Amino acid sequence: MFLTFAILALAGALALLLQKNAIEAGLCMALSFLGVSGLFVLLGNPVAAALQIIVYAGAILILVLFVIMLLNSHEEEPAEVSRPIQRWGSVALVAVLGLGAFRLLNGSPALAELAAKPVTGASTNLHSLGDMLFSQHLLGFEVAGFLLLAAMIGAVALVKKNL
Amino acid sequence: MDLLSGTLQGYLLVAFLLFLIGLATVLLRRTLLLQFMGIELMLNAANVALLAFARWRGSDLQGTVFYLFIIAVAACEAAVGLALVIGLHRHRATTDADKASSLKQ
Repeated sequence: MFLTFAILALAGALALLLQKNAIEAGLCMALSFLGVSGLFVLLGNPVAAALQIIVYAGAILILVLFVIMLLNSHEEEPAEVSRPIQRWGSVALVAVLGLGAFRLLNGSPALAELAAKPVTGASTNLHSLGDMLFSQHLLGFEVAGFLLLAAMIGAVALVKKNL
Repeated sequence: MDLLSGTLQGYLLVAFLLFLIGLATVLLRRTLLLQFMGIELMLNAANVALLAFARWRGSDLQGTVFYLFIIAVAACEAAVGLALVIGLHRHRATTDADKASSLKQ
């Protein structure tokens, strides 16, 4: 099961990278998000999996597809100047980062020790999550709500022609 | 160590690969909307790593709480980012990041 969802997530992401058409890239991103939410179920976190589908595959993806259709920019515009140094520099940066991450993954003794421990604890349920959120992280919760309000007002102010 | 089964390292490997693909999307594609999708992919990779570590540290609920905060910020970023893309399209009639270069001159 892990392999299925991991391949789903990575294949969706890779297709997003290689896709020419913006709408199809958005649908590939939905595939990737569904794979990630499957991984969350396997991690014993059905709350996060449900939120992943509702917020990412539901709200954010629909917003992105809506903007693509609104702007009618399905295809990537042809480049005015080709920038080979930037392109190969980016590829090299990604490769070096990947190599470093892989070495970290294989060579860290603390990580191996943590991974060797058996998984304990029940899967997350909404009740205990709400308990923790409203007892220990109440301020953060309020700030997040305020941030959402500010983002909403900011988005309206940015696209409105005459306020 | 088996990376292909559901070990902690396996989840972290998926998170790293998702992050790198998202980074490559941001760096290599020129359309702002695709770059935006790459950013969402990177945020998702961080979520996978966060929840994997939370699971192996005794199913810590703090991980899920921080996941909630991350998606709240991601939703804000989606709203404001897409508003900026629409603003750019209104002024320049393009969604190409390379063409928004008037600060260079």
